[in-house]
Amino acid sequence: MNGLPIDLDLAWESLPALLDGLKVTAILTALPLLFGLALAFPICFARMSDRRWLAFLAEAFVTFFRGAPLLILLYLVYYGLGQIQALREGPFWILFGSPFGCAIVALSLNHAAYMVEVLRGSLLAVPHGIVEASEALGISRRNVFIWVKMPLAIRYGLKAYQNEVVSFIKGTAIVSVVTITDLTAVANTIFEQTYDPFTPILCAAAFYWAFVNVVRLCFNLWRRWLNRHNTEDAAADAEAPGRVNALRPASDLKQVMP
Amino acid sequence: MTHLSLADLAGYMRQLGEGALITLELFLVSFALAFALGVLIGIVTLSRSRLVQAVWRVYASVFMGVPSLLVIFLTFYGGSAMLAAMFGEFGARIDVSPFGAGVTAFTIVYAAYIAELMRGAIDNLPRGQFEGARALAIPPVVMWGKVILPQVMRLALPGLVNVWSFMLKETPLVSLAGLQDLVAAAKISAGATKEPFIFFIATAFVFIAFSAVSFKLATWLEIRLDRGQRREAAGGSPPGAAA
Repeated sequence: MNGLPIDLDLAWESLPALLDGLKVTAILTALPLLFGLALAFPICFARMSDRRWLAFLAEAFVTFFRGAPLLILLYLVYYGLGQIQALREGPFWILFGSPFGCAIVALSLNHAAYMVEVLRGSLLAVPHGIVEASEALGISRRNVFIWVKMPLAIRYGLKAYQNEVVSFIKGTAIVSVVTITDLTAVANTIFEQTYDPFTPILCAAAFYWAFVNVVRLCFNLWRRWLNRHNTEDAAADAEAPGRVNALRPASDLKQVMP
Repeated sequence: MTHLSLADLAGYMRQLGEGALITLELFLVSFALAFALGVLIGIVTLSRSRLVQAVWRVYASVFMGVPSLLVIFLTFYGGSAMLAAMFGEFGARIDVSPFGAGVTAFTIVYAAYIAELMRGAIDNLPRGQFEGARALAIPPVVMWGKVILPQVMRLALPGLVNVWSFMLKETPLVSLAGLQDLVAAAKISAGATKEPFIFFIATAFVFIAFSAVSFKLATWLEIRLDRGQRREAAGGSPPGAAA
């Protein structure tokens, strides 16, 4: 073994395969993010509903799909749902019959459960007075939600959303267990072919790192855009301590933006 | 619907139980090590040295930006080679077990998260605590052990609970490196009995139950760590007087 654990020739050769894997990982990130968010809104309303049974159902959903490890959810959907006769003969089998469909379903449910909590936290953070004032002005409930509560909630919840998205991307690495050739699976295949334990895994890790940081950068730009009306406050926010979970807002941004 | 006899079920339950113990062991050992290393890193990186800061930022960025699964694979498949490179002939003879690889990977990854938490919490501590300890000539080890860390833990607890529950949900990943843990046992039982639904749901509930228990513990711990604050409030002294 030479000093460098990376075989550059092998890395160069496996680049196209790894890029294909990255594409699969990106699709497996984007679709569940979309479906999960779409699912999170109604469940969040149910969770905050005054009707006891509805709130209870939503809470049970959140507890289960947040509390169970993603790997188990994936096994459950992939191996477990095929057991149900009605499902096997129903129209949804196109979805549950393929590993890709199963992965999308499991990831979406997991993401939805996390997003319910993010959404709920952000909506609860909206000051009550503002909502009351809007109601006093005779604005309809729907418009209050869309034009008053949501814009504020997005600003409050952006950091939590970013953390969730980043950890979700890293979570997608397990879909290879249901035979999907994502980035991790490609790296594993190359490892099995070459028995080089470092090059493929380190290359895949580099791709994940780049992907995660691009996403992080996009969130930072989004945050800056949302806070454009008070740039001074935003700067103060970025400097504030207690930045739990890997946020390096100010410095990273400065390096990229002129 | 089930074709399982009671005796069969008991046998599978025993297997699952053994698997659950391994999962629990892996989780607790990894968390303890990650916690110790994280606190240490959190303290060391308070140093203003450029080198320390640079190393910390690279370390944190790498391990927070890469899936744990890849780190596990790296330590498991590349572990022997790394040991051989570090310790020569002697290291090459050590076999890397999935358990050891998992513990190593989780320790390295989650120490980064815990160190980040610690740094945030230490930042939030009033500077007077450090100055006071120094003015009283308290030696650094006692200062950290008796003055700073107990207060830091109070501030860091919510974040630690997050890391705890997140890490718990990642422990099954080590089964992909071949560890015979709860999830592996569930998968084997599910395959053998053709009852995947029951076994995977049961496994999910084991995890949910464990998080529920640990949240209860966390609440108790929070109350205990808050006792200094509570007494202050009960004594009616002005806010900030005891800080």
